[in-house]
Amino acid sequence: MAPMILVGTRKGLFLLHGDADRRSWTVDEPLLDGWEIYHAVQDPRDGSLYAAGNNPVYGATVHRSTDNGKTWTRGEGLGLPEDHELKLEKAWHVEPGRASEPGRVWFGGAPGVLFRSDDSGENWENVENVLDHPTREKWNPGAGGMCTHSIQLDPADENRMYIGISAAGVFRSEDGGETFTAANKGTAADFYPDDPFPEVGQCVHKLLLHAGQEGRLWQQNHCGVYRTDDYGENWERLEGNGLPSAFGFPLALDHTRPDVAFVIPEDKVFAPDVGGGNRVTTDGRLRVFRTDDGGKSWEDSSNGLPDRAWVEVLREGMASDTETPAGIYFGTKSGSVFVSPTTGDDWIEAAGFLPAILSVETGEWQ
Amino acid sequence: MAVTVLLPALLATEAGGANAFEVDGETLGDALRELPIRDLLFDERGELRGLVNVYVDRQDMRMRDGLDTSLDGASEIRIVAAIAGG
Repeated sequence: MAPMILVGTRKGLFLLHGDADRRSWTVDEPLLDGWEIYHAVQDPRDGSLYAAGNNPVYGATVHRSTDNGKTWTRGEGLGLPEDHELKLEKAWHVEPGRASEPGRVWFGGAPGVLFRSDDSGENWENVENVLDHPTREKWNPGAGGMCTHSIQLDPADENRMYIGISAAGVFRSEDGGETFTAANKGTAADFYPDDPFPEVGQCVHKLLLHAGQEGRLWQQNHCGVYRTDDYGENWERLEGNGLPSAFGFPLALDHTRPDVAFVIPEDKVFAPDVGGGNRVTTDGRLRVFRTDDGGKSWEDSSNGLPDRAWVEVLREGMASDTETPAGIYFGTKSGSVFVSPTTGDDWIEAAGFLPAILSVETGEWQ
Repeated sequence: MAVTVLLPALLATEAGGANAFEVDGETLGDALRELPIRDLLFDERGELRGLVNVYVDRQDMRMRDGLDTSLDGASEIRIVAAIAGG
């Protein structure tokens, strides 16, 4: 099977096929014309593709394909309860369930909502505890809306999972996704000077769990980069040690090494200043920063990337694969896809002149 | 009485490739809810999405009785997406 990149764009889904070295890529014709693909992912359990799509006229939906994108189906019931004051606004993220949970798929959307399917997306059920969470009145939408953009399943415990909502924060479930409690201790909300460490309201931009070390997660937040080693009970801020800015959106991990992480800084801010004023790569340079020591230090890991570049990489715009060494991938809003087959040691441009890239994920061409 | 519903390209793709359907219904709302892409036309409250325009025999439904427009004697329903986005 050949490596594949799923690139969600403002103008549909693109699949890129790579050679074994992951240095030469071809771009297929776009799929799902007319849909803005906020996120697309391949289900490792059966190879099927899921795409979270939005259309300004026809709303938000999730498409599924079992034939590499030739045909697509939509599920039923992807909406909030008829009598609720909120309505589904956007589709943001699809997360396939564990290998031990055939058919289970999770879906995150705006306004800060979570759905579960137990039949591969044919039917969806709203998670009531998230929709009517006791802290919801303290949540506020970020610039992209109040989106559930990160869904992370703990491989060590089938009852434990995490979600990230902007700007509500990180929430953990210990009962299989029925109820969620806030897990934001130590993460700052510098945009609330009167209460910079609230229980909820943090603007998490991307949340990733590392399966290789139980209890470890990373997050790129509006206000810094963080790591936890105790299931989100406490978060440690990881800046002032090589990163040129606390602000950024994407995040990627190396599946073989829990201490390795990648971020792409934007703006040029450190606490107590708040980023997000310009949302463009720091100093007009497209730079990936890598830590090899759990965030104690960060180094510029941008060999092969264009030096002068004012670009944006969105929260879903960075990914890693499951090869060894791990490949790292990201896409820009200006339509370029960059790949590092060497875990950040060097980069190549895999594709350019695509529509604005909203998401990047990796998979295998079946 | 059967009425022909004409779909724009995106909805035709979502409906499996067919851009015309013969449906029955006493009212426009009844007919639209028979379509396989009804979830794209109506939100979770059953309200027609705001940027979906519908014409019955070339007349905007809003100039008639909206979704309650009678299909008695009608022959064609055309769905048109409002110009939106960028």
